[in-house]
Amino acid sequence: MCSTLTRTDVDNPLPLLRVLAGSHGRGNVWLLLMLAGVFVFAGLASIAITRLSGADLWAGFAVWIVCALGAATVLNRRLPSHDPLLLALSMFLSGWGLVAIERLAPAFADRQALWLAISVLAMLGIAIFPQVLRWLRLYRYILLAAALLLLSATIVLGRNPSGFDFAPRLWLGIGAFYFQPSEIMKVILVAFLASYLAEQSATLRARSDAPAPASGLSLRLIGPILLMWLLSMVILVWQRDLGTAMLFFIVFLLLLYLSSGDLRLFLGGALLVLVAGAVAYQLFDVVQLRVDIWLNPWPEADGRAYQIVQSLMAFGAGGIAGTGVGLGSPGYIPVVHSDFVFAAIAEEWGLLGVIAILSSFGVLAWRGLAIALNHRGSAFHRLLAAGLTMTLLVQALMIMAGVLKLLPLTGVTLPFISYGGSSLFACHIMMGLLLRLSSGAR
Amino acid sequence: MNIEVTIFLLRLLAGLCLAGFLLALFAIIWRNAGAAVYQPAAAGAMHGYLVCEQPALAGDALRCSLRPIVTLGRAEGNTVVIRDDFASANHARIVLEGGKWWLEDRGSRNGTQLNGETILRRTILTGGDEIGIGKYRYRLHLNQEHMTM
Repeated sequence: MCSTLTRTDVDNPLPLLRVLAGSHGRGNVWLLLMLAGVFVFAGLASIAITRLSGADLWAGFAVWIVCALGAATVLNRRLPSHDPLLLALSMFLSGWGLVAIERLAPAFADRQALWLAISVLAMLGIAIFPQVLRWLRLYRYILLAAALLLLSATIVLGRNPSGFDFAPRLWLGIGAFYFQPSEIMKVILVAFLASYLAEQSATLRARSDAPAPASGLSLRLIGPILLMWLLSMVILVWQRDLGTAMLFFIVFLLLLYLSSGDLRLFLGGALLVLVAGAVAYQLFDVVQLRVDIWLNPWPEADGRAYQIVQSLMAFGAGGIAGTGVGLGSPGYIPVVHSDFVFAAIAEEWGLLGVIAILSSFGVLAWRGLAIALNHRGSAFHRLLAAGLTMTLLVQALMIMAGVLKLLPLTGVTLPFISYGGSSLFACHIMMGLLLRLSSGAR
Repeated sequence: MNIEVTIFLLRLLAGLCLAGFLLALFAIIWRNAGAAVYQPAAAGAMHGYLVCEQPALAGDALRCSLRPIVTLGRAEGNTVVIRDDFASANHARIVLEGGKWWLEDRGSRNGTQLNGETILRRTILTGGDEIGIGKYRYRLHLNQEHMTM
């Protein structure tokens, strides 16, 4: 009886459901893109009206439309079996990001639109290029070495586009062009770990199958864990980049757990995070500050905790429906357009906007993990899909929880939405790889 | 038109688009979840048989009807006797439990493959699955018309 019920649901869904879900339940990409486009248009129009001048506001919208339609057309033609939901979600979130930046930091909006065009081109290139997954695996040591080299170059040559002396120097700059190597490092690290762990999976699985749980942990297993921990610590110590260090290590632990199924490795790694956190708390002012204002920001609401307190105020001011685009005052939050963009969205789009963003990331995670589960290729492909999805998800959760004071604030960007060219670029590269994997390509 | 009215209409439009986007996402989830329920339901077939696809065999060894416990291994006395050096004496078994067919490895030396992957724990089988032991490949056929779930 159960089967007859589901059978009718699948074969004869409600007409509205069929329109919304697309003919095969894979999503109607054109409908989703149209809804996203009208949403972006309404946001920009509201900004134009509240600002009483909409002169150079529509360039970003034009770029967005060209990117969305172009990407959907190219993907439909060259990669017909891809998951259309991935493109719809990434374009929806990046469109929302364009509106948010136009609202919060209009001077940066054109730059962000330019980066969006570059990023979408890179995403399409990666999704279409047939050799990309093979090369990621073949040249993993070269790629990792190059990424590490770029990352260490920031220690010597690093700059900060804002020009302040105390700000972390995480960027490499050529003229007016700045790039943050730790962003692209994310992609390369996930690809490296996926291919390394896929090769070690025989060892890892044999261990988890072993009847006696006391079998010793070999250097082959512990070695990379310690190495990753060391890498994260170096990023933390040299660059004071708490967020990236945490992100790298958490994603690594999740991948290790996925490939080994061994809870002890996971718990041991989590313990290392706590130890590192405790030591960092003693040694570094940044970490101490972040933890202190997480535990209780109120005594210093006018001082060091100003940003987080204003962010909480913004959530309160937004209410359920928000104040409306351009009608709130998220400008009280310092540098609201990058790390704190989620608070601005909560103020101007309200709880509904927050739910929409959470749902979008949730659906993105679900599709990504579904790719990992359903992919018929090698363990490398499945680990890669899972790793990329979890990087996006963990990063989004870290900054959203940080802005809401659920976790200590770790300065990472909100994927697709925050201002930041390198971040947007890296997110779209991950999207390109996921699109390629979703088509079942090897 | 009054500016405040315009802004209100734009907000309404944006809100409707958001709601529509979310509705479409949930519609897709709904349909996928429906399809996912449909597949395990198909696995609830009580009757079926195993076909040896590789290497090519004739007669009795080719086909074996499923019964509640099907044992596979090199030892005589197994339901399916596998004459392969890479098969253990008691290699694996297929059991019917809770209306579903499960594949279990019985501590074999070289492992049991399901669709080319070595299984780590007991795994639900669905029609069309390929079970690999040594160089032998068995295809599982389930009779859809006897669905009881």
